[in-house]
Amino acid sequence: MLSPIQVLCSDITTLSLEPEPFASYTEADIISTVEFNHTGELLATGDKGGRVVIFQREPESKCEPFSQGEYNVYSTFQSHEPEFDYLKSLEIEEKINKIRWLPQQNAAHFLLSTNDKTIKLWKVSERDKRPEGYNLKDEEGRIKDLSTVTSLQVPVLMPMDLMVEVSPRRVFANAHTYHVNSISVNSDYQTYMSADDLRINLWHLDITDRSFNIVDIKPANMEDLTEVITAAEFHPHHCNLFVYSSSKGTLRLCDMREAALCDKHSKLFEEPEDPSARSFFSEIISSVSDVKFSHSGRYLLTRDYLTAKVWDLNMESKPLETYQVHDYLRSKLCSLYENDCIFDKFECAWNGSDSVIMTGAYNNFFRMFDRNTKRDVTLEASRESSKPRAVLKPRRVCAAGGKRRKDDISVDSLDFTKKILHTAWHPTENIIAIAATNNLYIFQDKLNSELH
Amino acid sequence: MIMKGQKRKHPPEEVEISDRSSPMWESQRQLVFSVSLNKYHHGQELPEPSLRRSVLIANTLRQVSLEAFAAPSVDIEVSPPPCSSSSALHKSVVTAKQHPAETFSNSHSALDSDFSLSAAISSILTALDSTIDSCSQAAPRTPLRSLENLSAPSDGGVAWVKQGLRGYGGGWEQQEEGREWESSTELMRCSYLSELTVEDLFQDIDTSLLERDMEVLGLIGSGGECPTGDDLLRYLPPFSSSPSHPFSLSLNQNLKCLPSLSSFGPLSSSLPSLSSPHFSSQNHVREGLDLEHLMEILVES
Repeated sequence: MLSPIQVLCSDITTLSLEPEPFASYTEADIISTVEFNHTGELLATGDKGGRVVIFQREPESKCEPFSQGEYNVYSTFQSHEPEFDYLKSLEIEEKINKIRWLPQQNAAHFLLSTNDKTIKLWKVSERDKRPEGYNLKDEEGRIKDLSTVTSLQVPVLMPMDLMVEVSPRRVFANAHTYHVNSISVNSDYQTYMSADDLRINLWHLDITDRSFNIVDIKPANMEDLTEVITAAEFHPHHCNLFVYSSSKGTLRLCDMREAALCDKHSKLFEEPEDPSARSFFSEIISSVSDVKFSHSGRYLLTRDYLTAKVWDLNMESKPLETYQVHDYLRSKLCSLYENDCIFDKFECAWNGSDSVIMTGAYNNFFRMFDRNTKRDVTLEASRESSKPRAVLKPRRVCAAGGKRRKDDISVDSLDFTKKILHTAWHPTENIIAIAATNNLYIFQDKLNSELH
Repeated sequence: MIMKGQKRKHPPEEVEISDRSSPMWESQRQLVFSVSLNKYHHGQELPEPSLRRSVLIANTLRQVSLEAFAAPSVDIEVSPPPCSSSSALHKSVVTAKQHPAETFSNSHSALDSDFSLSAAISSILTALDSTIDSCSQAAPRTPLRSLENLSAPSDGGVAWVKQGLRGYGGGWEQQEEGREWESSTELMRCSYLSELTVEDLFQDIDTSLLERDMEVLGLIGSGGECPTGDDLLRYLPPFSSSPSHPFSLSLNQNLKCLPSLSSFGPLSSSLPSLSSPHFSSQNHVREGLDLEHLMEILVES
């Protein structure tokens, strides 16, 4: 798959075209989540300011062969507002932590968006017709003088400019004491789960005033707390199975049929620690920041600080494959601990055929690994290299002091403020969405847009 | 990251030292310890306190402290400390070594583990002392720093101690955390806060009323730790107490004093989860809201 990636469209956000030596964006514009819907027609992004922007892919038109289905803004709305918890004197951030689309069942689209505390179900619908010809009011809406009405007419639907309406249909609140880090829609399309640092709750999409707690790892004494939940996801096909990851690098597969409270796992996936690689930061870098089931449901993809691992659900003892994302950082862990970069949570993604995995790194680099050919590539999401229709050039990071080729980047030159934490892959095509701070980049595979 | 215009130097040796007998390992360990301590307390004041981050830092602190015990070259004998209170501390630690006292921890009961815990505690003190002494120097950190322009707090422990005290004056919900990490700030007090008394730390917090209410609501855990305002003072390691009752804090307890995760408030909406872990209904939430309202009034009064 790893043929040259072409820039489909970039810089969707409204920024000037000047080079950015200083941060010229507001913090509220930082993209915090990216998600394609199940057909790939829509792409949703959430930002720190609580806004959701939905992009829609333009249908490919035959007359303009170069218009290969670009993504344009479809709708923008404010999903969450900042709140204040008066009891704890804490602000509740409006930052959108996750967005998950529901499978489409009628003309409208539904998505779940969550901040730290509250999950909301939004309905996105189109309106392209409106009724005209009312009897009691005129075109401007004013009440007609009844004496002028001489005959009755049936209002007819006339076409109008497309209007996208977004309305909140459900608000699932007050069920999480800690910060929600994941939501996942079940394959039964009726329930979903939300996970915070210590608990996972199961909701029904139609019921907002109650949820079932299915995992609770909070110890009786908070001082004994040594592990938190970092991510959770339902199995794509089996509605009774879900997985959650922890800050100690373990994955637990749970079966909801076994018990109402799934504190006891069905399977525990953990790689034994390599004693030769042990350091003070071993535990921190083993913390899993993201977990994703493969589309087939057979594999799990996890991301910790330095690696991405593919696990087989049938083998708990060790991962099937381990990919080094940026091993050159291993000797810099102390500094990265000091500047807090070691706590960055990178996401990961499968392609539609589960043959390639992708994850982000620093310096606006992102990496793709082909599981079959074992080839990998490092690409950069930046304005300079992302003019529309341009082809991305593979990048290389060389160890400090090592032999350096032209265009290589030295480890010491990496910009650790430019991190790609959120990436998404189109469910069926080779189109990827990369969130780089406040910019969204969409890249497409040039040679073959279909998966092989 | 390097600033523009700065000449890139050949980076010094940065590899993680896994050989414990090397002096670099010890300095790295101390660095990690001091950075972790610093980080943990700063983390509470972040606009978005992250439980994951705090837990990871706390675990790192624990690990670093435990490895200090495991290192063969750790020097238990400490040089004469700069201030008198810390000499009392060290004396009491040495005494604890000789008389392994009962610890609060229920999991460490063997005598040799008491001894090892005391040794670990003394190494913590050593590390703290060295932090106090070297807070203005950056030299011990050079071998490990490849990111030259990182803005780590160069004034060492002073900033966070004072900030911690400021933060302590905040809402009552933080007092439980404050109570526990106050004991660690006590260790640093000798150099910085000689003018402050313990009473000053507590004077703007009236905990007795709140503790009673917390008991009523059943929000205090089954451990039965419901200290009144006076009892809070008991948790601070006594400087001038007799040698027979010096460091009865075990390693576990000492580390418990450092990271307190109870401030990640279970109190506002956990009433439902405490009573019915499987099922939270609107009734419970409503009751909880009434009680919260009551508590707000009490706090304000």
